Amino acid sequence: MTDTTTNTRPGRLPAALRQWNIAVGALILGIVVLAAILAPWVAPYDPFKMASGPRLTGPTAAHWFGTDELGRDLFSRVLLGARLSLGIGFAAVAVGLVFGVIFGMVIAFSPERVKALLLRIVDVVYSFPDTLLALALVAFMGPGVENATIAIAISLIPFYARVTYGLAAVERAKPYVEAAQIAQAAPARIMRIQVLPNILQSLIVIGSIGFSSAILSAAGLSFLGLGVQPPSPEWGSILASGRNYISRAPWILIFPGLAICLTVLSFNLIGDGIRDFTDPKSRRRRT
Amino acid sequence: MLFFVARRLFTAFITILVVVILAGVLIHVVPGDPITAMMAQSGSADAEDIARLTAQYGLDQPIWKQALLYVGNALQGDLGNTIRGGEPVAELLLDRLPNTIALAVAGLGTALVLGIPMGFIAAVNRGRAADFAVMLIAILGVSIPGFWMGLTFIQVFSLHLGWFPVAGTSARNIVLPALTLGVVHSALVARMTRSALVDILNEDYIRTARARGLRERQVLLVHAMRPAMISVVTVVGLVFAHLLGGQVITENVFSWNGIGRLAIQAMLQRDYPLVQGFIVIFATSIVLVTTMLDLLYGLLDPRVRRR
Amino acid sequence: MTEALISVRDLSIRYGGPTGPAAVDGVSFDVNPGEIVALVGESGSGKSSVSLAIMSQLPDSVHVGGHILFEGHDLAACGRREMEDIRGNRIGMIFQEPMTCLNPVLSIARQMTEGLVRHRAMSRSAARTRALQALADVGIPEPERVMSSFPHELSGGMRQRVMIAAALTLEPSLLIADEPTTALDVTVQAQVLDLLVEIRNRTGDGVLLITHDIGVVAEVADRVVVMQGGRVVEHGPWEQVIRAPREAYTKALIGAHMSLEEALTEGGLHG
Repeated sequence: MTDTTTNTRPGRLPAALRQWNIAVGALILGIVVLAAILAPWVAPYDPFKMASGPRLTGPTAAHWFGTDELGRDLFSRVLLGARLSLGIGFAAVAVGLVFGVIFGMVIAFSPERVKALLLRIVDVVYSFPDTLLALALVAFMGPGVENATIAIAISLIPFYARVTYGLAAVERAKPYVEAAQIAQAAPARIMRIQVLPNILQSLIVIGSIGFSSAILSAAGLSFLGLGVQPPSPEWGSILASGRNYISRAPWILIFPGLAICLTVLSFNLIGDGIRDFTDPKSRRRRT
Repeated sequence: MLFFVARRLFTAFITILVVVILAGVLIHVVPGDPITAMMAQSGSADAEDIARLTAQYGLDQPIWKQALLYVGNALQGDLGNTIRGGEPVAELLLDRLPNTIALAVAGLGTALVLGIPMGFIAAVNRGRAADFAVMLIAILGVSIPGFWMGLTFIQVFSLHLGWFPVAGTSARNIVLPALTLGVVHSALVARMTRSALVDILNEDYIRTARARGLRERQVLLVHAMRPAMISVVTVVGLVFAHLLGGQVITENVFSWNGIGRLAIQAMLQRDYPLVQGFIVIFATSIVLVTTMLDLLYGLLDPRVRRR
Repeated sequence: MTEALISVRDLSIRYGGPTGPAAVDGVSFDVNPGEIVALVGESGSGKSSVSLAIMSQLPDSVHVGGHILFEGHDLAACGRREMEDIRGNRIGMIFQEPMTCLNPVLSIARQMTEGLVRHRAMSRSAARTRALQALADVGIPEPERVMSSFPHELSGGMRQRVMIAAALTLEPSLLIADEPTTALDVTVQAQVLDLLVEIRNRTGDGVLLITHDIGVVAEVADRVVVMQGGRVVEHGPWEQVIRAPREAYTKALIGAHMSLEEALTEGGLHG
């Protein structure tokens, strides 16, 4: 039994709080995912149909979120937007994660000089804020949802690569990897069969962080006109086209914005929750 | 110590070099022929013009040569000319750079002023209501898109209450955009401060300080905060980089006349030289700031300063 | 008969509320002025909890029962401000890990003078003079250089001496030393122990030495309190506990320490 370290008077919240993170986050995310999946069938109006109702009307029974400047039903647009945002987020994270993990592992198993050089390059790219990276890439590639997704995926790669490298480097120093290397196993095999499963759990946590970043980037790009193009109702895009009408119709500002907030919030909550759950330090606190 | 400084400066230089090279080469990410794309923007698609421009921009040269050319010019302060007006890119950007820096500093300052006390309160009250409240605010802050916060502020404070002008670049105008950047990033700062402090408060030397009978306030503000602030310095660089990223969009929302706003316009108009130049200037700024912060850290932490 | 410096009576420490499991139960002992009392036991015996209880440095959620009588106060019932005045000032404490016990970003001078500034309202310069003297008293060569150093520039043994010197500047009547030698090299251990004895001789302070190492106990203790599982198993003067232990546990402790057993049978330990 170890001696007590004097804490700053911890309270009684920790254990319950940690569970809450994941619970609330998952709840919100569940709703958003549901909206995304069911959007085409659940939406009361066609998101693209202009003059579904009178223009710029506030929330009513007929139009829960009101209508925008072209008379389109905002609720339907926001619902479809969920599909777009989650779709982009998921695709970007999937691609970014795969390539990032591969790069990270390759760097971890590279010979010293190569490793130093590659790390340096990754760090340089990583020092760029990722939204800006995506922005620059889209600027050169041209706007559009596919390019935006690719750009966001690429902007996530340095982060994933760096994290993977860190995890893999730690693993690589462990005896079981050394043993495999002595047994002349090919590096690729070691990476895949031995190291990867061990770092998988950490990667899941990391993956969730990337999601919030991806969705924020997607919204930002669309807002600037470089991502999803109107009339597609990506949340950022809705905010962009409605920008000039916000004084008259504040609901155009509120609802899509809230949607972004809540979605990103849910990912952050879940990511935080998982991280706290698996962190040995906070486990000690709970007992 | 001198070695530490020299090494950091060298790293900074190399990093900037790499970025300039990457920027110079980035134009080849463009699908299709960049010149045609550029021309489509400004109207004429004359074969003669295309050939001339291709030669002028050196796009008929092998990539490595182009990169070298770009780097060489950049080092002399020449970042090419814009497509739209043929103006020197470097001049356009450097003209607006002070505005961007002013806003960045204001934003960072706001983030620190808001975030550090929040993180402190959270750490000291760990596990209790205050901690929960602060962390809730923090996680909300990190989840809010900057442009949305900006638009909301404009709605409420400019249009509704009339306290601030809607757009433009001046001392009065800096409040809302700085607040937008500051609030979002104070969440980051708060989390990092809390994290650093929580670790420190578990350290043995805090127990020693208490065993000396020092008043709790002194223990927290001197023995805990000082090492915490030193470790926060290392992280401020990251916060700053993130902030600059958000600033590009914020400048757009508030029509703040900085390089971010210019860059967005350039991107929308496919003015590639301008975008390239922006990347160079932007990255250089980040590298310089993070290097300065690293050096500052080296000065502050006695463990680094003295061997 | 001289009154005891500190009297621990029926001390109980329960983690997890007043009805939780007892880490320490019914512990009583005295430390008299000029006496080195050793509190000895294995890890988990509760000995460190006792010292933390005396200094009121246990978390609020821990329930402390019994009495700790010191200079007219019952420390178990003292408020926070009272304890802050007593800690460092009347009771000094030295900890186990000199490597981590000093604040790495503050200078030695700062850490040595702040106690004086706080408790005696001394000026920085007066405190600095006093601190230099204390460093010299514990046998540190070049006190000036050490004063302007930072903890990472000193060795473990030096740091421990610095900690002891810092504790001494305030001239407390009781010194609690929690495993002061455990993290040190064997040669340095001996130096630190000699230092404690010398301090006791010079100042007449009482010393509560907490350790798991019965060899240390045998070397310097006047009286010994043996703890096991949160209870006092045996206590008494050195001659009685070490040379003629009554309890099986004490015998086991001594037996496990091989060179001690040898030394005892051959005779010739401090007498």
